[in-house]
Amino acid sequence: MKYPSIVSKRAAAIALSAGLVLLGAACGSSGSGGGTAAGSGSSNSITVAVAYPSPPAALLDQFTKQTGIKVTWVNIGWDNLQTKIAAAAAANTYFADASDVDWSKVGEYQKTGWFYPLNQYFSESGLTSDMPQLKTFESNGQLIGVPFDSSFLVTTVNQKDFAKAGITTMPTTLAGFTAALKKVGKANGMASPLDIQFATAEGLSTCWYQMTAAFGGQVLTAQDTPAFTSPSSPGYQALSWMINAYKSGLVPAANVNTTDYQGFTTEMAKNRVAAAMCDYSGSVASIYDVPASSSVVNDVEYIPTPGATGAGENVANPDGIGIPKTARNVAGAVKFIQWFTQTENQALWAGLKGSGDVVSTFPMPARLTSFDLMVKADDVEQAAPLSAILKAHAQAPFPNGAPPWYVQFSAAVQTNIHQAAAGQETVAQAVSAIAAQVSSLKAAG
Amino acid sequence: MTAVTAHPARRGRMFGGALPYILLSPLVVFIGALSFVPTVDTTVEAFFRVSPLNPPTQFTGLGNFRALFASPAVTTAWVNTAVYVVIGVVLSVVLGTVIALALRQRFRFRGIVLALVILPWALPAVVEAVVWSWIYDPTFGVMNSALHSAHLIGGYHVWLGLDRWLTIGLIEVVQVWQITPLSAIVILAALQSVPLDLYEAARVDGAGPVQAFWRISLPMIRPALAVCTVEALILSLNIFDQVYILNGIAPLGSSVMLQTYLTTFQNLNFGGGYALSLLMTVATAVLSMAALALLYRQPGAE
Repeated sequence: MKYPSIVSKRAAAIALSAGLVLLGAACGSSGSGGGTAAGSGSSNSITVAVAYPSPPAALLDQFTKQTGIKVTWVNIGWDNLQTKIAAAAAANTYFADASDVDWSKVGEYQKTGWFYPLNQYFSESGLTSDMPQLKTFESNGQLIGVPFDSSFLVTTVNQKDFAKAGITTMPTTLAGFTAALKKVGKANGMASPLDIQFATAEGLSTCWYQMTAAFGGQVLTAQDTPAFTSPSSPGYQALSWMINAYKSGLVPAANVNTTDYQGFTTEMAKNRVAAAMCDYSGSVASIYDVPASSSVVNDVEYIPTPGATGAGENVANPDGIGIPKTARNVAGAVKFIQWFTQTENQALWAGLKGSGDVVSTFPMPARLTSFDLMVKADDVEQAAPLSAILKAHAQAPFPNGAPPWYVQFSAAVQTNIHQAAAGQETVAQAVSAIAAQVSSLKAAG
Repeated sequence: MTAVTAHPARRGRMFGGALPYILLSPLVVFIGALSFVPTVDTTVEAFFRVSPLNPPTQFTGLGNFRALFASPAVTTAWVNTAVYVVIGVVLSVVLGTVIALALRQRFRFRGIVLALVILPWALPAVVEAVVWSWIYDPTFGVMNSALHSAHLIGGYHVWLGLDRWLTIGLIEVVQVWQITPLSAIVILAALQSVPLDLYEAARVDGAGPVQAFWRISLPMIRPALAVCTVEALILSLNIFDQVYILNGIAPLGSSVMLQTYLTTFQNLNFGGGYALSLLMTVATAVLSMAALALLYRQPGAE
């Protein structure tokens, strides 16, 4: 007779416990007090969420020994990370103490107030001469992030393919480069020797900014109005040149559907193209010279970007790191950012002391002093030409920093250029549609 | 017998009749916290301007809905989604029925075939989309290679991103490939529950296999077909992974779910995102109920 009552008590206890646990979980998930990342939340630990692999564990351990702060590293894909940052900020929920601040998000984060201004922790005046891209992370006087790499768009060529066509001196104008590519294509049996992304992805937007820079301009004015609507403007000419390159077959037709950077670089790594425009700084060392994934080892080099009348500028698209407003350990995050971006560590991530310390896919250091160390050591592939480009030619995409509505602007850019390449719009229609989107975004504030 | 009837009364006395509520409480809390509260919140906020880029939050009435209906991208996404639904529902139910009829037969290695049929359903949609992106790849994809080898195409084609209807069709192939196995299994289970005497009686009366299918199998498996239809309807209406991975954010093949994501997390227009989610919820509920009303009849009910 006792058996059923024991079962009932147990069932009731389990039901009540489960209910309380669920209730606790539900309550704990809202508000800034509800943590999600293991190992975080105490004063001697931080969570770092970025779209990069972790530095070697031994180096992170050194940081822990120096500061007593334990680092939990979370590597999240770039797109996914942006969604997480927005979702966590909108829900006022903790997700990391230090996180990615992409150059394109600076205006948005400043306006939304999702990240702490770092001006009080980092001296802009002291850093600008060493970090040429620091300004990219400033909006309305607030320093939203600190650059931790110096990614910028470059032109890469397979010098062996060019030599086969009898070209040993690289053209510095776009007209000369186009003519040379036609020769290279014929000499190497490549129907389409030039790689440019044409899929609806951020890479297509940034490529237009890069080509506009090559034509000597920028796509927005200092007042964030369209600078590309006149057919004689650099932006319009750049777009015409890109669409013509695609439609004339200079660019592989398949590129209209190459949505990721890996697919883009594979074309060069497998020698299916002889040149890439809007490639990334660091791609030679991290991709093309890696025998496991490349058949063009030691053949690819960076060249000054061909422009309308001579070598053009290179658009900078660096990654930065900042502190979300929902961070629990701001002091720890500041110490980590200082350590992560210091001169020698930056050079280590790029291979100063061999591959053991390298952060995989890391483009190049954010600091010129780090470049100096690398050039002096003469041990990092093509550090000298990249350093020269960074010092003299790396230019911010917009004169006034990325506007708060950059993401919508970029979506309109990539969508309309893609449609123009796919033959669904003319260049003039694409330009009008992008300009209309700018007006609408500005009007919406 | 006496003991069995005595237990509920004893338990009822012990908890004052509260035991059923106590037992249900975890589920109520779970559904309430994870489903009911967000649904109510979404419904309410759909009528507000909620944008971190444009604070403060303000009541806008039908403003979000008007903006959505005026957006060409959203309109295109609704049309595309309607096509995804039609293709997805028709193909998955028809193919599921065909596969189920084949699997009902006894043949060698039937177990292995059954396992292979289930495999696409068991894989995550993202994995499948990535696999199919390789198949469709214009440069080294299997599709171009196979069609070219069979002399069905003269040169390699760019399959996705150039033609709207081809892009939608090829994306939906991936989804049909994923959702058909579940339909096949549900319909197979229904077919196996049909009493064999009915087929025997029909055979004695001179009915052939086709007649037996139309007159016996089909009416008997209608509830299963209704379930499969609703399942395919919901999955097709909510198509996202395949679209995003195979075609990016290009409006050409965009779906409503993709537009919801872009509106909310790309444009940071949370109010617009809530409104689009609400419209999608209503569309899903109405279409599902219509499908059930049309198809779900117990055998012998008519």
